[in-house]
Amino acid sequence: MSKLTLQYEGIALKDYAVGAGVTIGRLPDNAVIIDNPAVSGHHARVFEEGHRVILEDLRSTNGTFVNGRPVTRHVLQHRDEVLIGKHQLVFDQNAAATQPAADAPMQGLGDTVYLDTKQHRALRATLETARADAAKPVTTRAAVSSVPRRVGVLRVIAGSAEQDEYSLDGNTSIIGRSNTALVRLRGWFKPAVAVAIAKHGSGYVATAMGGKPLVNQSPLEGRHALQEGDMLTVSGLVLEFAWKEGVRAESAA
Amino acid sequence: MRLRAGARTDTGRVRPQNEDAYMTRAEQGLFVVCDGMGGAPAGEVASEMAIQAIARELQNHENGDALEASPFLPHTQRLVDAVRQSNEFIYGEAQKDPRQAGMGTTIVSAWIREQIAGVAHVGDSRAYLWHNDRLEPLTRDHSLMEAHIEAGLADEGHSLPVEQQNVLVRVLGREPAVDVDVTEVPVRSGDYVLLCSDGLTRMVAESELALAIRTYQDPQQICDHLIATANKNGGADNITVVVVEVTGGWWNRLLNGVGGHLRRTLSREAASSSTLNDPRPH
Repeated sequence: MSKLTLQYEGIALKDYAVGAGVTIGRLPDNAVIIDNPAVSGHHARVFEEGHRVILEDLRSTNGTFVNGRPVTRHVLQHRDEVLIGKHQLVFDQNAAATQPAADAPMQGLGDTVYLDTKQHRALRATLETARADAAKPVTTRAAVSSVPRRVGVLRVIAGSAEQDEYSLDGNTSIIGRSNTALVRLRGWFKPAVAVAIAKHGSGYVATAMGGKPLVNQSPLEGRHALQEGDMLTVSGLVLEFAWKEGVRAESAA
Repeated sequence: MRLRAGARTDTGRVRPQNEDAYMTRAEQGLFVVCDGMGGAPAGEVASEMAIQAIARELQNHENGDALEASPFLPHTQRLVDAVRQSNEFIYGEAQKDPRQAGMGTTIVSAWIREQIAGVAHVGDSRAYLWHNDRLEPLTRDHSLMEAHIEAGLADEGHSLPVEQQNVLVRVLGREPAVDVDVTEVPVRSGDYVLLCSDGLTRMVAESELALAIRTYQDPQQICDHLIATANKNGGADNITVVVVEVTGGWWNRLLNGVGGHLRRTLSREAASSSTLNDPRPH
């Protein structure tokens, strides 16, 4: 029993049993309907001939391709990729005859299924063993709650601020007038958020949000990965970025 | 900073009903998309419940404190707390009513305050940021597919059997507690935040999402175009898109108004001429 799997952009949409034969095209009387202007009304057909499966182009406007080559008639091999318009049909020679999908085509993408935590853990375990290198953390959550070995700080070099040094503990640290800001700027005309500093991997990325902040005397543009010794100038305040070693107690713990 | 939002949901061309739901509150900066579990009992109820629970949680105490100390900004943490509470709520309702047992929903939510977007999600509904002419994913699906990709066992979209492509490993409402993925990203004038259900991302390539934003620029027009594209490509599932445009103050809009109009006109012409290169219709 052989089948064709319809794909778009590499994503499988539907399985079709080849059976005695199927036609492929844009019109509703085809077994495989691809509703796309690049596909002809009756574009191609696939049928069994002896124990071989044949693909035949039905003189379509835009042609039928197998593994990148235009064909008019082609004996399908296992895993051949047929391109029609922008859709792909992957040929599977050995689809199990017991599969219900072989007789009844699947409804659209099929229904969404949910694995509960127990099933998911079992799956994770098998995936873990299959993983080539287990060094990578599994979820972002784990990365967030782990205690960083070193933390970035902003040291106040010039200008008036509430503290001499600000530790960049949060996921996002703000310099600005906002009351959620780590480094508070005072004054009506200061921007609510002048600079946002976000944790990114093991480093920090600064983005200018308002006013005209400078980094090392040049305008801060786009995203800037902070380096030891970088000087941020924000509304008359000069801040130096530095790394601080040592284990920090987790405040949430 | 000002936010302009567009949104649209569509049943698609295969499913009998729409189990997606969304909420846009541009004034508050709050945006949510939920995808009720397809075919599962009361999928449309679960997605609607999630939206209402979030709305309720975040409406009454606009400036309330986060429940726990957190590395995230207060509004981000409150969004995460609201998502967790909506999970408990849906789970509780499902236990009460046997007709609703087993209902579940995905959620992707963004709360944008003072130019920082807090994004919380569970499941395979996604968030993207359009920044500097590039589309960046803000979420990773909680799906079997993604788990395989992470483990290095599969390339995107390729080697997983069809029947395993719809398997989610995390949803709201199915278990008493849920892990919520969180991220924060600064947004600036000219950026867009896009939230969508998998009915869009399975039918429309990321490059086409980017092209739609670049071409149409107006949030509602982007949504309308993307829904039409998803349906043209098969519409195999319910489709929901929310697009949020971050704009400057009124003086910025005044300054950019003329230039922006010109850019739009030019890029539309570029887009319509590029479609001429597509394969000839029959």
